[in-house]
Amino acid sequence: MAMRQTPLTCSGHTRPVVDLAFSGITPYGYFLISACKDGKPMLRQGDTGDWIGTFLGHKGAVWGATLNNEATKAATAAADFTAKVWDAVTGDEVLTLAHKHIVKSVNFTQDSSCLLTGGNDKIIRIYDLNKPEAEPQEITGHTSAIKKALWCNNDTQILSAADDKTVRLWDRNSTEVVKQLSFDMSVSSMEYIPDGEVLVITYGKTIAFYNALSLDMIKTVDAPASIHSASLHPDKDFFVAGGDDFKLYKFDYGTKEELESYKGHFGPVHCVRFSPDGELYASGSEDGTLRLWQTAVGKTYGLWKCVLPGEFSCLMPNN
Amino acid sequence: MSTLVTLLRLPRGPDPNGRGFDPNSTRFVALCPTTISASTETWTDSVEVGEEQRARSALRESFLRTLIAMTNKQVQFHMYERVEVEARFGASDIDVLNFQVSELQTPIGVQKEALLRCQDVISYSFDL
Repeated sequence: MAMRQTPLTCSGHTRPVVDLAFSGITPYGYFLISACKDGKPMLRQGDTGDWIGTFLGHKGAVWGATLNNEATKAATAAADFTAKVWDAVTGDEVLTLAHKHIVKSVNFTQDSSCLLTGGNDKIIRIYDLNKPEAEPQEITGHTSAIKKALWCNNDTQILSAADDKTVRLWDRNSTEVVKQLSFDMSVSSMEYIPDGEVLVITYGKTIAFYNALSLDMIKTVDAPASIHSASLHPDKDFFVAGGDDFKLYKFDYGTKEELESYKGHFGPVHCVRFSPDGELYASGSEDGTLRLWQTAVGKTYGLWKCVLPGEFSCLMPNN
Repeated sequence: MSTLVTLLRLPRGPDPNGRGFDPNSTRFVALCPTTISASTETWTDSVEVGEEQRARSALRESFLRTLIAMTNKQVQFHMYERVEVEARFGASDIDVLNFQVSELQTPIGVQKEALLRCQDVISYSFDL
């Protein structure tokens, strides 16, 4: 059922937005980082979309971006063959980690002490951020470019998705593969929910949910179009997805029913994520914008104000 | 639906003149450690804060003046990976990320025009 909603449109990027991530909830609210092919990842206030700063330094498209829980550090993965760690309060570059090919994915451990990277050289690397000059630990096995590598199971294991159409679960200490999933096509995105150990994988028109520890499938849901990214609500009652047809879809996780769909983007949706409080979800698109959407349309939250009939004639929106 | 949702305002966009990270924001002031010890004392001692700011301004001005003094002079750059090169300094960009140089002398020849990445430079020296 198509519904109407006014998303908050965040402009500023000049090329497609390919990845986005939220921080945890901090005493200063929560934050959002966006990775863009223009090479200039941006930090925004999570509930309003207000721009806070741009991380300057990469010399190529930024393919992946992440924040630590406290939003004090950021990490980015780029086509200039480097991953960079940034101070997310000052915007200063703290560390550059040279790789031998395009880097696609970056992920902090819960305590921000280690950074996981993965990219086109097919190797997963673990950097100790307290000893950045030390050689990273390497995990090999994938036979194609790695799209995403994530810490899981309390940072004792690693989940990775690659263009070799597999998702692999690795033990961090032994660097051996524990379990592997094979698909008929490349996985387009992967999201890990620590609370409940759920893994959300998208491929083709399918959104699939797995147990992150056993890699047993929980359920799959098919969407009307090819999906590039999906995100499960923190309360696990809804999930959202977006892809080739430019629309955002909201589904009921329990019944698998498609509840709502929204038009708004002018290009395919590349990434979608729920905020840590579940009140909104953010989408990044080929059209170069980020849009923030309300989970429960009609609620007063952030920049959205719910107005009762009879009231709206005296409302004057001011910037 | 009986209710309508309006936007209080649009999200604020990027500042075209800078990279953001406002040093006056609550988060910045609360979380940013400063390198000069005076700043870690209580902010009630405004004399010390004033002195620190004067020292910072003096250092910054001095640095900017060295960049001006270096223009069109031969500068020796000491860089990572045991790289030592000499070139005629042209200019720096606003964030001191790159130095524009001419006639860069390298072991594989002289580069007429080049950009040196400042993060690769350990130190540089020139004669006044």
